[in-house]
Amino acid sequence: MTLELSGLTNAYGEFAFGPVDLTVADEVLAVLGPSGSGKTTLLSLVAGIAEPDAGSIVLDGRELVGRPLEDRRVGMVFQEGALFPHMTARENVEYAATGEERVAELAATLELEDVLDRRPATLSGGERQRVALARTLAADPDILLLDEPLSSLDAPIRKRLRDELHDLFASLDIPVLYVTHDQRTATALGDRLAIVRDGELEQVGEPSAVLDRPASRFVARFTGTENLFDGTVAERTGSGDEEGVWVQVGDARFRTATPDISGSAASAVAVSESAGPGSSVTVCIHPSRVELEPLDASVDGGAEQANAVAGTVARWLNEGNEYRVDVEVEGGALTLTASVRPPTFERLGVDAGPALRVLVPPESIHLISESESR
Amino acid sequence: MTTEPTGPTGSTDPTQSTKSTHSHRLGSVDWLSIALVLGGLLLVYYFAPLLSLFLSASPSEVLGRLGDATVRSAATTSLLSASITTVVATVFGLPLAYWLARAETPWKNAVLAVVVLPLVLPPTVGGVVLLTVFGPNTLLGGTAAAAGLPLTRSLAGVVLAQTFVASPFVVVTAKAAFESVDRTLEHASRSLGKSRWATARNVTLPLAGPGILAGVTLAFARAMGEFGATMMVAYYPRTMPVEIWVSFQSLGLDSAYPVAILLVVISVGALLVLNTVASNPWR
Repeated sequence: MTLELSGLTNAYGEFAFGPVDLTVADEVLAVLGPSGSGKTTLLSLVAGIAEPDAGSIVLDGRELVGRPLEDRRVGMVFQEGALFPHMTARENVEYAATGEERVAELAATLELEDVLDRRPATLSGGERQRVALARTLAADPDILLLDEPLSSLDAPIRKRLRDELHDLFASLDIPVLYVTHDQRTATALGDRLAIVRDGELEQVGEPSAVLDRPASRFVARFTGTENLFDGTVAERTGSGDEEGVWVQVGDARFRTATPDISGSAASAVAVSESAGPGSSVTVCIHPSRVELEPLDASVDGGAEQANAVAGTVARWLNEGNEYRVDVEVEGGALTLTASVRPPTFERLGVDAGPALRVLVPPESIHLISESESR
Repeated sequence: MTTEPTGPTGSTDPTQSTKSTHSHRLGSVDWLSIALVLGGLLLVYYFAPLLSLFLSASPSEVLGRLGDATVRSAATTSLLSASITTVVATVFGLPLAYWLARAETPWKNAVLAVVVLPLVLPPTVGGVVLLTVFGPNTLLGGTAAAAGLPLTRSLAGVVLAQTFVASPFVVVTAKAAFESVDRTLEHASRSLGKSRWATARNVTLPLAGPGILAGVTLAFARAMGEFGATMMVAYYPRTMPVEIWVSFQSLGLDSAYPVAILLVVISVGALLVLNTVASNPWR
C-alpha cells in the first residue's frame, strides 16, 4: 500500500499549505514540526476532513481527492481520541469492527480487556488512546494517520505507549503518518522523518540523516542542534576519503571530514562543489557530538586535526538524563553546548568549573550553505 | 477593595488591607443584601400568584369543569394541535438547526435572525402576518379552502399559528445542542466508514438528544400557551388559552380558573421534563 501526494495545496485564511509532494510506502513517516506548521492540515487533507485547492492524493492506486471521508479507508486517531462519549469502550470499537472476533483480537493486542465496559469519561488518557487506536484499526484502514496521540499524556505513560506503538506499527503493513511536535517521539517511531515548516516539507529522510545532516538552520534547531554558527570555508585539503574542509568561525578554525554541504535536496551537490574557500556557511554541531575532556588528557593526532580547544564552563543544566553544559572557548568569543552523560559530568567535576578541553570530531560537523540559513 | 495596590513600596501589611475593607463596608451600602432582597421579591412575585390561582378554585370545581364539553373540546384541540405543531416544528426544525450549527457561511447570521423573528414579534402581529398569506381571501388560503382544507378557523389554522410562534424554540435550542457535539466525533465516525446519515443517527443525534428534547419540550409548552396568533388565525376551534379568554369575557374571571389551572399543570409538567430527561446526562 502506498500513499502518493503530489502538488497538494490548501489555503486557509492567512495560512498556505503546500505545495507538498510526498510518497509514503508501508513505513512509519513521522511528521515533525512546530504547532501551526501545517501537520494537522496534512492529515486533514488525507483523511478528507479538508479538501485541497489543488493536487492529488493517491492511496493504493485510488484517487482520494473528491471522495467523502467514509469512502477513503483512511484510519485516523485524533489528538484526544475522539471517542464517542455515550458508548462504552467496547461499543466504540464495535462501532467500526466487522465482527466480534476482531474486537476481541484488538482488545488483546492493545490490552483493553479490563476497560471494555467502561465509558470514555472514566478512562485514563492512555486507555482512551488505546481504545481510539483499537477503534481505528477495527475498520481495517488502508493507511493509519495519528495526530499527536501522546501529547496529552503524562511522561511515564507516554513512554510506555510509545514503545507499544513502535511494536504495533511494525506489525502493520500499511503506511503510517504520525504527526508530532516532539522530536524524540518522531525519531523513536519514524522510519523516516518529514520536517514541516510553514506548510511545506523542509526535509524528508531517515531520522539519523535528518538529525546529523539537517538541510537548513530551521531543521537543525528544531531537531535539537543548538550549536549553530556563521562560518566561512577557509580551505579544502586532501581529496577522496581524505578530503576535508576547514571552516573559520570567528577566531576558531574547525576541520570537517565530510565535504558535502546541505542545501535543498536537489541542489546539494551543486552547492557543495561551489562551496570553495570564502563561501559563507552555517556550522552545525549537535550537542551530543561535542566531547569534553580534562585539559591534561592527550589528544590523538594533534589538537588541530581533532578540533580540540580549551574552554571554561559558563553554565550547566541538569536535564535529568543528561547535563547540558555551555563551554566558552576562544576567550568567550564562542560558546559550544555539549550534552554530557552523568558519569562523564561527575568524572570531569564540571560543577567545580575547571578548564576543559572541548573536542569536536570532524565527522560530526555539518555545514549548511548560506542560502538555507533562514 | 483589598486588591488595590497598598502603596508605592508595594507593602502587603495585613492590618492595612483589613482596615481599608472595614472602612469600605462602613462607608457604603451593603449591596449584597439589597441584591438578595430584590431577587427574592421577584421570586415571590412569580410564585405567589400561581399559589393564589390554585387557592381560587377548589379541586372539585376544577374537576367539575373538566367534564364540561367546551373545556374538554378546548383541551382536546390544544393537546392535538400542540402535538402536531411539535412534530412539524421538529421535523422541519432539526435540519435547519443542524445547518445553522455546522454551516460556515456569512448568511448564517441572517438566517438565524429570520428564525428568531417570530420569537420577538408580538404574537398578534404574527397572526396578521400569517393572515396575509393564509387568509381566506389570499391565493393560498382561498385555494386550500376550496379544496376543503381551510387554513383559518380550523385545526390546520391553529397548527399554522402555533408552528410560526413555537418552532423557533426547536431551531434555536437544537442548534445549540448540535453545536455542543464536537465535530471531530462526526469526522471520526465517518472516517470509520459510516455514512453521514449513520453518523447523524448514531453519534450526533444521541449526543445532541437531551438538548433537542429541551427545544421540543419548550416548543410544545409554547404551542400549548399560544394565544395571540391563534386568536387571529383560528378563533375556532377553541384552544385552551382562547377558551380562557372567552370564559373570562362572557362569564367572568372565576370561570376562567379551572382551564387556567389545567394549563399551569401542563406547563409544570413540561418543566419537569426539561429538568429530568432533557438535561444532558453525560455532563
